[in-house]
Amino acid sequence: MEILPIALNTFREAVRDRVLYLILAFAVVMILASTVLGMLTVGGEEKIIEDFGLAMIALFGTAAALFIGIGLVFKEIDRRTVFTLLAKPIRRGQFLLGKFLGLALTLAVNLVVMAAAFFLLLAVRGLPAGGLWVAIWLTYFEILLVTAVAVLFSSFSTPVLSALLASTVYVVGHLTWSLKLLEEMIESPAARATIRMVYLILPNLEHFNVRGDLVHGVPVSWGHIGFATLYGLGYTTLILLAATAIFERRDF
Amino acid sequence: MVAAVALGGALFAQGRLESSAQVRGDSDHLLYLPSGRLLKVLDLGYSEVLADLVYLWSIQYYGNYPGGVRYDYLLQIYDRVITELDPRFADAYVLGAAILSVEAHRPEDAIRLLDKGVRANPEDWMLPFEAGFVAYHDLHDYPRAAAYFATAIERPGVHPVVRRFHAEMFNRAGDRETSRRYWEEILRTADTDYLRGVAARHVHDLTVEIDLAHLRQAIAEFSRVHGSNPADLRDLVRGGVLRVVPVDPDGRPYVYDRATGSIARVRGRSAP
Repeated sequence: MEILPIALNTFREAVRDRVLYLILAFAVVMILASTVLGMLTVGGEEKIIEDFGLAMIALFGTAAALFIGIGLVFKEIDRRTVFTLLAKPIRRGQFLLGKFLGLALTLAVNLVVMAAAFFLLLAVRGLPAGGLWVAIWLTYFEILLVTAVAVLFSSFSTPVLSALLASTVYVVGHLTWSLKLLEEMIESPAARATIRMVYLILPNLEHFNVRGDLVHGVPVSWGHIGFATLYGLGYTTLILLAATAIFERRDF
Repeated sequence: MVAAVALGGALFAQGRLESSAQVRGDSDHLLYLPSGRLLKVLDLGYSEVLADLVYLWSIQYYGNYPGGVRYDYLLQIYDRVITELDPRFADAYVLGAAILSVEAHRPEDAIRLLDKGVRANPEDWMLPFEAGFVAYHDLHDYPRAAAYFATAIERPGVHPVVRRFHAEMFNRAGDRETSRRYWEEILRTADTDYLRGVAARHVHDLTVEIDLAHLRQAIAEFSRVHGSNPADLRDLVRGGVLRVVPVDPDGRPYVYDRATGSIARVRGRSAP
């Protein structure tokens, strides 16, 4: 199990990264600040606190994934520590997977801290938490997918370019619904097929976005939770396989 | 020394900038927000939070801004931005409609905004109730108000007071028979003494009104046929205009004045 020591080591390194603590501290402050926003409203205080809290968890979780993910592999190459690791009997794919799992663990801890602050706030305000944990569960799989994208770009590119490309994929991932609208409006079968293929290839991050439904008390079915989780895991696996394929062929 | 000068300069500049922003109306630019449909494309899945932020801004703006044109963009903000971003944001419909009807004196726009909320939130009884109340209070359009209250009654968790509003709207519209029928249903299903008392009083008063209306109509018909007012109310039965002379719900006969042909009830009714 060569992957596990790499994962744990990655985790230890990541939790020492000051950027992570800055992001986490800022996220917790913003979550707690939502209660101030709640004071400015006329009605809808519970909705605003929950909307804001869940949005901050998703936003800062994604920010942490991008900030750490884009430099994950690049740092090892830049510092030349990758040579030491790959000199051991460990495949490049195992190295990449270990790095990814370490970061996934870091982000899970990150998410738990933010979620704890959020649920504590709700408890102090006497607001029901209900099924809001589902939003956080699916947010984690969205973050994992974004992390995999960041790792993919990190395996062959510089951090700046990785950040740009990963952020673009994040933005596009929230706009893929517009491709479906475009498909309905276009008449050419070939064009429709092309758009359909692009829609299926690009990650649809809106599958993980159930925040609005849950805050408005609309239950999310176990089917949706299950399929969205499966979608996240499947897509993440595919991206990691692509990252492995690129990293295997890379010369450094 | 340098730090002190820099700090002083920055604070001075900030004060000047803020005072010029107040003259300009520093929130005006938010009135020119693009529509919610465009913002939905740009919000990357955070449409509810964006709706919340615009809503919070609108509360501060409409609560404080003294400008004369402040109501010009009400519908833009509440109808085309906030509730486009989050169609299930019930409080935005209610507040927007309240400002439109109470402060801007535009009840039709208020109802239009609430209609959108009624369609987008089929489980919410408050929105059709609010629309009904605007129709009743501002427009005095009682049939329209009754229709909205009927919609609210069909929705889960509706407050019992809505049924009373619904029943009363028929009375206001002049349809006392229907109003009494609904009040009788409320009386039949009332689960508190207070509600039973309220419903019973309405049934009592409506019965009196209905009886008096029937009697006035019968007296007018008798006069038209016979050329004079009836000697007493039993003449209406003998003349075939009424089947039976009604008495008030307390069992007392109505008071008839042959000279004027007027009909009234005995003063000082018993408690129902």
